Amino acid sequence: MKIKSRDIRDVLLQLAVALAIGLGIATLVSSDTVLSLLAQAVIYAVFALGVGILLRQNGLVSFGHAVFFGTAGYLVGWLLERDMMPGGLVIVVSILVIMVAAFVLGLIFARVPGIAFAMLTLAVGQMVYLFVARSRSFLGGADGLQIDWPSSLFGLPLAAFYEPASMFFISWTVLFCLVALLTLLFRSRFGSITEAVRDNEERARFIGIGRLLPRAMVYAISAGISAVGGVLSALYTGFVSPESLHWSVSGAALVMVILGGYKKLWGPVIGAIVYFLIKDYLGEVTAYWMAVLGALLILVVVFSPDGIAGALSQMAPQWRRQRRPLPTAIPRRRTP
Amino acid sequence: MLTIGLFNGLVYGALLLITASGLALIYGLRRVVNFAHGALYMLGAYIGYSIALSTNFWGALLISPLIMGLVGVCLDKAIFSPLQDRDPLSVLLVTFGVLLIIDDLVHAVWGRGNVSVAIPGSLNMTVTLFGMPTPAYRIAVIALGAAVVLGLLGLFRYTRIGLLARAASTDPTTTAMQGVNTDRVSSLIVGLGTGLAGLAGVAASPLYSLSPSMGGDILVNSFVVVVIGGLGSLWGAFLAAILLGLINSYGIMYLPGIAAVLPFMLMVAILLWRPAGLAGNRV
Repeated sequence: MKIKSRDIRDVLLQLAVALAIGLGIATLVSSDTVLSLLAQAVIYAVFALGVGILLRQNGLVSFGHAVFFGTAGYLVGWLLERDMMPGGLVIVVSILVIMVAAFVLGLIFARVPGIAFAMLTLAVGQMVYLFVARSRSFLGGADGLQIDWPSSLFGLPLAAFYEPASMFFISWTVLFCLVALLTLLFRSRFGSITEAVRDNEERARFIGIGRLLPRAMVYAISAGISAVGGVLSALYTGFVSPESLHWSVSGAALVMVILGGYKKLWGPVIGAIVYFLIKDYLGEVTAYWMAVLGALLILVVVFSPDGIAGALSQMAPQWRRQRRPLPTAIPRRRTP
Repeated sequence: MLTIGLFNGLVYGALLLITASGLALIYGLRRVVNFAHGALYMLGAYIGYSIALSTNFWGALLISPLIMGLVGVCLDKAIFSPLQDRDPLSVLLVTFGVLLIIDDLVHAVWGRGNVSVAIPGSLNMTVTLFGMPTPAYRIAVIALGAAVVLGLLGLFRYTRIGLLARAASTDPTTTAMQGVNTDRVSSLIVGLGTGLAGLAGVAASPLYSLSPSMGGDILVNSFVVVVIGGLGSLWGAFLAAILLGLINSYGIMYLPGIAAVLPFMLMVAILLWRPAGLAGNRV
């Protein structure tokens, strides 16, 4: 996996700018309700980022990613109850377990023709939801699970994860570190391979690229990122309910991805923020804000398939797009 | 025990069959995975409830599917037909948007509480069947499922519109070249599929109470049916719906702990065995 040093420098610079903006918002915004809304939006942005890269790199729509989002909280809560590992390790182990499980699922799902994938993820997601909602004895059933966090995590006091301002900044940092890592990953050979399989499976196979492995790996990464979102949510609320596994949650994440635009990594982030703004401000005016979102979703899919991020980057000045010239495929003839 | 399980399985299987065959029809003609199908089922049930209040159940069973058929034709004219050349994924997302709108529409008109519809008087009795008292309404539901199977088979085998629909589903371009208005055929079949969703909704309403979550439940199960049966295959959908109904009812009787998960386990097993579903790629 070769990554150009210029790419690393670019990405680190963008990351620094993003973190500075986040710190600015966390210190300048004084209203706790606004910060709490933003913290929620950023946590869901992490979740939506996971759903978005599946669409971006695999060309697949998942209606079941709430499973990874919700299971992360359940797994962390369950492991903490057993008291076997320190809190930080529990989080890492939970995310890794979910990624391995998603990899195995991905190997099965990748065999199914594209359009059936959405239906399959929906059905499997609903299966997990029903299973957890009815397992009263060890996951709390419909009542959900209270998570017993240790008093400090990764060197931070637990209160840092409850306070809207600090939690907003923590989630923001996690979100943009993930965006930076993914940018580098998708600019590497792995990115090209997955895009080749996405665009033309048959041709990819002709040049010796398997179809199952790259798809399953993208699925595992996307599940892992959604699981990170789930852990953040469990940290913020201290609680996980079966409702977080319901397919309407997966649908909400998908709405964020499409509204924001999936072709840019920061598209789902914008989508999540727009979603929460609509939910909060429109929710006060009408109880039927979901219908408004539905109409908005249809309009975006039909008239602006690249979403808000696509529209924004079209408006951006020309020089940004000219910076990376395409490599010439034909070798230049050397002049004698 | 064994016959009660068989009987209840057939009742649920018949409802699933009616809903899922509508889903398969829409996929067959428009190549659209209709995420709004469960919401349409719910809308049909609620419209039926209102009609049943002002007239009676039989009126609802007749009129609500007709209204839903009209809704389906409108849906096709407004969404599926103009978006025919888009990739299937964007149309799928549009139907998800339609789902959100219909859901809120139902909340706005009928509220979020549960309502129920009474079993029609003429069927509110028990019949002794194989030495067992069985509710007549449930027998009627099974009969309705059988009638839908026979009706659809008759339609596609013996009528001109059925022939055109089969042709348009196999190869829309060549069919259109022969001078067939494939767009109109598709609209009619989408209307029929949506009408079937409405029919299932009304038929289910005396058995289960109407609630805003009924659409999601039937959608998930219909998807399992269609994926197991093979996308767009009517025979596959018939077979898978009965299979799923039986698994559901025997699961509740013998394996209550994991009954809710059984259909999905079956689905994963079948997909590992035959990724294109039971019927494969045949229509």
